Amino acid sequence: MITKDLNLLATHISWSRLRESAATNIFMVPVLVVFVVLYAVPMGQSVFYSFTDFNGYSNETKNVGFLNYQTIFADPTMLAALGYTVFYAVATTVLITVFAIPLALIINRKFFGRNFVRAVFFFPAIPSVAILGLVWGFILNPLGDGVLNTVIHSLTGLGPIPWLADTTLAQLSTVAVAVWTLTGWHAILYLAYLQSIPSDFLEAATIDGAGRWKTFRYITLPLLTPAMTVSWLLLMTNGLKVYDLPITLTKGGPGYATTTITQALIQNGIAQAHVGQASALAVLFLLIVGIVVFGQLALSRALEGRYS
Amino acid sequence: MKASRNIVTSVVMIPLALLVALPFYYILVNTFKTQEETANHPFALPTQLYLQNYANVLQNTTIVQSFFNTLYVTAISIVLMLLVGSLAAFGRIVGKGRISAIIGVILVVAFLVPAQATLIPLYRMLVGAHLVDSLNGLIVLYSTGSIFCYYLILGYMRTVPTEILEAARIDGAGPFRVYFTIVLPLIRPILITVGVFQTMWVWNDFIYPNVFISSPQNETLVLQVYTAVGQFLTDWPSFMTLTVIVLIPMVVFFIVMQRHIVSGLVQGSTKG
Repeated sequence: MITKDLNLLATHISWSRLRESAATNIFMVPVLVVFVVLYAVPMGQSVFYSFTDFNGYSNETKNVGFLNYQTIFADPTMLAALGYTVFYAVATTVLITVFAIPLALIINRKFFGRNFVRAVFFFPAIPSVAILGLVWGFILNPLGDGVLNTVIHSLTGLGPIPWLADTTLAQLSTVAVAVWTLTGWHAILYLAYLQSIPSDFLEAATIDGAGRWKTFRYITLPLLTPAMTVSWLLLMTNGLKVYDLPITLTKGGPGYATTTITQALIQNGIAQAHVGQASALAVLFLLIVGIVVFGQLALSRALEGRYS
Repeated sequence: MKASRNIVTSVVMIPLALLVALPFYYILVNTFKTQEETANHPFALPTQLYLQNYANVLQNTTIVQSFFNTLYVTAISIVLMLLVGSLAAFGRIVGKGRISAIIGVILVVAFLVPAQATLIPLYRMLVGAHLVDSLNGLIVLYSTGSIFCYYLILGYMRTVPTEILEAARIDGAGPFRVYFTIVLPLIRPILITVGVFQTMWVWNDFIYPNVFISSPQNETLVLQVYTAVGQFLTDWPSFMTLTVIVLIPMVVFFIVMQRHIVSGLVQGSTKG
């Protein structure tokens, strides 16, 4: 009798387990649909198209091997887009890090107006970058009526500076605007990590006679390496993916000076329907982002290992 | 000595902050000026309360329509991605099976794929489904954000004691009841944080509207400002007025949600 009950119980449990696991898998169906329809299938198509001469219309596509990849490396505008995008990503990462860490240290102190300063530096990260790019386009207008040129002219008498019309200046201007929008955001990120450093650490260092620089170099900076990992990863990947800022500020010009990979990809693949070639660029882009992510994770792991 | 250092910090940092805010001051102050005044005294305060620019923008643009378009796309996208993400995170927590583990690994891959790598096939897919130049098409694209939601919610759920779920199950509640009556209220803080973060993404996004939307009646606010540059090429005060109107919701959002934005930034960075 008892064994019979136990058996019944056992079958009941395993049946309910089964039903439960089936039910819990149902919870993952929506996310799986999103993954398959919006990631896996298009990703597969990108890879497939990149080896074909598909132009978006013809039904007869043929395999062209690595021809699309060769075309990219032979096309000066594509190379310019690759070069500028990498420059933008590296320059913004370096400059924002260099400004954000000192800013974080300063806004971590107590001083009059601290909350105001924090909010103001942080705010440019809130509105759409595209809108900020357009606003800066008016400020930096290369003609004499851009407000920055008006100010410079009235102060020094110098003629209009071609902020957005000169190749090098346009590239530097896009980076400068990016630094303006994102430095406060990354400073707040560093601040969050700074505030988690126990104050005993810093006090102990001061008692041991460490000066301000030594405290920063040997205590604060090593404890900030996890924050740097995150900040650099965000800056590098978002820098490589950049689209809004150059296009609203400079439309990618002058010439192709500030054309990004994403912009080249959209122009080629959608506007001109060079699907094969644009897909090759997309695959290449995925590889670059992947290498940067894994390279950076390895680097930061090595750094953290050295410091700890 | 400490007090004097604090004064020095204030004296240096407050002007620096004002310099950072100068572009916002510049566009705001010029919305109340005539074109002539803007050209001659770009940084001066307006001499009179001149509201013609605001009237002009509200009459000559479809800004009200764009506002409701943006609101529609943002609201539905956010609800959708929070629902899909939290369902998946719940399934991953309670499902001990191999399937949910495999799905977990697959989603890591999706997390790394940039939108650019799938853009062209997605465009062709939406053309086929008649979802190009459609607000619902944008919502489909933004549902990709549910994977980011899944990660942050999963991280939070791991900190929730499973005893609560066990207790509910013993009381005879089915998984769906547990999800709706226990899990959702329990994870409210992370839903707010992720929701705030994703709202900023969808509301501000430029690439999807710019690629997928072509008719004026389907524009989002950001796209409207972008296309208005041509319209107001010679009328800067009107352009700046449009910009200021479009920025107002973000300023309000910032003031109300500042705390959540910062906590989202920190959590997103530690989990992502």
